[in-house]
Amino acid sequence: MRLGNLEIEIIIALFLVLTALWTVMARSLLRAAIGLALTSAMLTVMMYKLNAPLAAVFELSVCSGLISVIFITTISLTQPLTWAEIYEHERERLSRFRPLPFIILLLGLFFWLVKVDLALPTVVAEKVTDVRVVLWSLRQLDLVGQIICLLAGAFGVTILFKAWRGK
Amino acid sequence: MVGSFIFVPILLLMIVNVLSFSHKSKLHNILFGFGLLTALAQIALVLWPNKNFWQLTANYQFNVIKFNLAADNLTLVMLLAIGLVGLIALIVARGLINDVDQEYNFTNLWFIALTGMNGLVLATDIFSLYVFIEITAVASFILIALTKERDALEGAFKYVIFSSFATVLMLAAIALLVFFAGDTSFAAIANAIKANPGNSLILMGLILYLLSVFIKSGLIPFHGWLPDAYSAAPAITSIFIAGIVTKVVGIYPLIRFVQLTGTLADPLRNILLLVGGTSIVIAALSALGQTNFKRLLAYSSISQMGYIVLGLAAGSALGLAGAILHIFNHAVFKSLLFINAAAVEKQTGTLDIDKMGGLAEKMPYTGATSAIASLSTAGIPPLSGFWSKLLIIIALWNAQLYFYATVAVLASLLTLGYMLTLQRKVFFGQLENAFYETKEAGWQLVLPSLLLAGIILGLGLGFPWLINTWLIPIGKIL
Amino acid sequence: MTPPIMTMLVIALPIFASLLILLTPKRWPASQPTILMAATIASLFLSFSLFGKESMVSFPWLGGGLDFSFRLYQFSAFIVAAVAAFSFLIALYTLSFFRADNQSKLFAFYLLLSQGLAAGAVLANNLVVMLFFWEALLLTLFGFILLGGQYSFKTAIKAFTINGITDLCMMLGIVLTIFLAGTATMTKINLPLDTLGATAFIFLMIGAIAKAGSMPFHTWIPDAALDAPLPFMAFLPAALEKLLGIYLLTRISFDLFQLKPESWVSSLLMIVGAATLILAVLMALIQKNYKKLLSYHAISQVGYMILGLGTAVPAGMVGGLFHMINHAMYKSCLFLTGGSVEKQAGTTDLEKLGGLGWKMPVTFGCFLIAAASISGVPPFNGFFSKELVYDGALERGTIFYVIALLGSFFTAASFLKLGHAAYFGQAATQTRETKEAAWPMLLPMIIIAALCLLFGLWNALPLNNLIQPVFGQQLAGHNYAGLPHNLFLIVMTVIVIGLALLNHWFGVKRYGSGLKAADHIHYAPGLKQAYNLAEKKFFDPYELGLKAIRLFAIIAWGLDRLIDWLYSGLATSAARLLSLVIRKSHSGNYATYLWWVIVSLAGSMLYIFMVK
Repeated sequence: MRLGNLEIEIIIALFLVLTALWTVMARSLLRAAIGLALTSAMLTVMMYKLNAPLAAVFELSVCSGLISVIFITTISLTQPLTWAEIYEHERERLSRFRPLPFIILLLGLFFWLVKVDLALPTVVAEKVTDVRVVLWSLRQLDLVGQIICLLAGAFGVTILFKAWRGK
Repeated sequence: MVGSFIFVPILLLMIVNVLSFSHKSKLHNILFGFGLLTALAQIALVLWPNKNFWQLTANYQFNVIKFNLAADNLTLVMLLAIGLVGLIALIVARGLINDVDQEYNFTNLWFIALTGMNGLVLATDIFSLYVFIEITAVASFILIALTKERDALEGAFKYVIFSSFATVLMLAAIALLVFFAGDTSFAAIANAIKANPGNSLILMGLILYLLSVFIKSGLIPFHGWLPDAYSAAPAITSIFIAGIVTKVVGIYPLIRFVQLTGTLADPLRNILLLVGGTSIVIAALSALGQTNFKRLLAYSSISQMGYIVLGLAAGSALGLAGAILHIFNHAVFKSLLFINAAAVEKQTGTLDIDKMGGLAEKMPYTGATSAIASLSTAGIPPLSGFWSKLLIIIALWNAQLYFYATVAVLASLLTLGYMLTLQRKVFFGQLENAFYETKEAGWQLVLPSLLLAGIILGLGLGFPWLINTWLIPIGKIL
Repeated sequence: MTPPIMTMLVIALPIFASLLILLTPKRWPASQPTILMAATIASLFLSFSLFGKESMVSFPWLGGGLDFSFRLYQFSAFIVAAVAAFSFLIALYTLSFFRADNQSKLFAFYLLLSQGLAAGAVLANNLVVMLFFWEALLLTLFGFILLGGQYSFKTAIKAFTINGITDLCMMLGIVLTIFLAGTATMTKINLPLDTLGATAFIFLMIGAIAKAGSMPFHTWIPDAALDAPLPFMAFLPAALEKLLGIYLLTRISFDLFQLKPESWVSSLLMIVGAATLILAVLMALIQKNYKKLLSYHAISQVGYMILGLGTAVPAGMVGGLFHMINHAMYKSCLFLTGGSVEKQAGTTDLEKLGGLGWKMPVTFGCFLIAAASISGVPPFNGFFSKELVYDGALERGTIFYVIALLGSFFTAASFLKLGHAAYFGQAATQTRETKEAAWPMLLPMIIIAALCLLFGLWNALPLNNLIQPVFGQQLAGHNYAGLPHNLFLIVMTVIVIGLALLNHWFGVKRYGSGLKAADHIHYAPGLKQAYNLAEKKFFDPYELGLKAIRLFAIIAWGLDRLIDWLYSGLATSAARLLSLVIRKSHSGNYATYLWWVIVSLAGSMLYIFMVK
């Protein structure tokens, strides 16, 4: 059987959901971090399929690559839990996800009942602009904003973590 | 040149930080001086508008950098409020924080938050709006966690969680809206909304945006983070965040939302009304039962934001004017109350109002100014809070929303109830023996308190002037 | 000076002088009596020189026909002159009556102010202007009574309340009258007494007769007699208020409205008059205090005036008005004798008085003339005015005549009792050292007593010059000067006085004391119980009103508690409970809060898409 475009997308979406669920439900932080990387990877595939290769590359390099590395480095610095703590945590962890099936059911019911008409706009703006133009001339303000945001993050790290080192 | 509202603070900040080889306290004094100048300049530019400055900006294109920034009357009011509360917070910080390092850190973050808020109110583009919301939010997280105490970290953590949730919703909303508009500017989105009435996806985008903004402003039932964040934050952060940051991050985008959608569609309006009304009543009832000074003020903040939301939901120029005036008033009186709380905490070492009593005798300025602020919160004439509430209630009545108008009026009684309880327990009654040696806090706290109390009185008495020169023009942006 | 300027001066001069008195410093103790005497003498001359002159003055005021307009003509000139005369005499009297400087200063202030305001009210040619002065008099009344000391406040409030309510009625009447007539100018008003007209008339009448002190608006007067300073009694309730009240009653009855003998309003007035005169005199009969006894007579005599005017027949009208001026004279004279006795003997309690006749011969002489006058003994002035009232009453109905006659009997009896108890008999130990009063106090009494005699012997003087011109055409050529025309009435009056003497003799014989001479009436079966109730103020509308208000206050208090409980009890506990529930639901767990957010999100979505 030859898979159509749509079927592939559905499968990718399913995988995306599954990896995301795994990330959230994972027992250890390490597994969660790996799960996050996998989710990002699925997202990358999806973006690629949706005709956004640049975004896919960014996603892959930043989210699955950089962030996962940072996460895993950080986690390796932490102290592992004792067995008693793990047991305690385990029980609590599973109980949290009990409502999940109900939510999924309810969501399904909701969309079935309400019949959201996903009427797409008749004319979708298909203006393909070079990403460089977008970044450097259209979204200048946002770039400045991102820089300030990074600055704020840097401050946060300095302020919140420098003193700890001192202690 | 409106861009200078964003660039000047951030450049000043960078310059001073590059100079960091110098001695820390000296450096801090320089930074503090820059901060004062920035805030004062901001206030001055709004109060004595220079035509060249404001008009050039409208369509001004820098050679290299091209910004879409614009200032309407609403922006002016917001800039004024930001400048005012910023100035006050900067001065109060000098009295509240003893550690030079911490004060330096605060001032740095103050600059970032100021930049974020300025950019936020000047943005003409929904994505820029989002970016600046994030800048302000990041600065706020760190500000809340500034002292690194357990409670403060917990408060900051809650804020981060809720804020990221809001971010997700906001991004989804932007995605949906841009899908139709093809562009992220407010104008394009407004056109898209008008062009596709009743489109489910646009409606979904709008409601996601709305809920994200609700979370950001901490309205009930999206308020889980707010009381903890306000009450656990260091005193100076509470003043700054409660006074202005939450309003700019949460309520200002809401106003833009109302402006975008034009006259609100009925279901959206009902949601606004429901959330506003619930916030007013439930938060006021919660405030009644609080024993922590700052927590009580936090709930009071939620309740007051409910009024603003109701004013917006009225969907008339009058309601909008009332809401904007109430934002400004709230910035003034809530900052004042948090300064009072900070003064009380600093001088007595506690925030438990059950343990206090008769402090007005020992701290006359704090007592008097907090009485003024409380009465203004409760909407007692002729203080400024009365006028904004009156405008909101009249607007509700005119919009035939009799039920919500009644709720707004009756909730004023609740407001009066918890505010008077607060006053009675903290400042009046028998002076507790433990506080026999209590003194008034330093001038860094008293002077700003007096200034804010003066503004409350002045606005209240000068209201007839205010309504014609400021408010009616603001209302016309609808 | 032209008459208009003089007219204004009659009003302005006393008011100006009163303010001047208020401003004089304590360092010049002589200045206050000087100003008082100078002002009263000046206004006396001024008002007497206004006789026979006519003028209209008008200044624009509120607009819409409400001008500050005054009219000087025969009637108003007469009343203004009388007011000025009494003001002068009382001023003279107070020169030695008051001891405390501050009291006399305030009294002088109120006296002059009242005189000016009364002149304004009388001269006003606009109903609203009149009301303005009329209401202002309420304030001086209040102030006067307050001078009486610490216990007088309650009485002052009572007087103020009663007069305030009746003034309110008058205000209603004025509004209605203006509505009916279309103008507030008094000279232009002449309305028939149809249904609306009668309503307006009755409202105005209430204001007028209440000012005069008629029943049932009289109850503050006996209280004031005990609490307020005595010259006040001689000035306001005895003279000024009678003059004003009866002046207004006359104006509204025969000038603003057309009171006819056959109308029910006329009968109503007569009934009020008859009831007032008989009931008040019965109360006077049993009093054991000089001042209080007099105060009841001040009420009773108003009954004659209202009865006389109410008959709306020429004899009665002339009699009523004549009785007004006569009463003002003899009653203030009587109060002044009471003041002398109080000042010299230190008390007005009749049980402590006695045998004063030889110690205070001048006072006694004046008392005798005034008492004879009020009892209607010929040839004093009271006799002639009462005869005229009898004449009118008989013309309208025998019953009114009988009641008036009965009133006379009791009047005579009570004055026999008063005179006997105070001036004859054994001197009580406390009052043995009493001496005659000082001349500034005696002089006014002598002048008034002399006038009583003059107005009796030469009654043509007041009747032809003052009273009868007031009615002009309405008298239809009658002239009542000289001896009464009806011999029957004279005989009856003489018989009644004789009976009163006989009754007194009987009482003294039976109880052995002048004071108790009326006890057989006091303790007569039926009357005794009524007296008891009256003494307990059971018939006092003010006290009844107070009781009703107290009852209402209790009910209102209960309601208030209930509402208070609803608010502060129920509402706050509900708020507390809700507050508690809300607080409990804030567990502090952010996951819970996030759930709220998610549920709200879902709810909003659902709502939006369901509605859409």
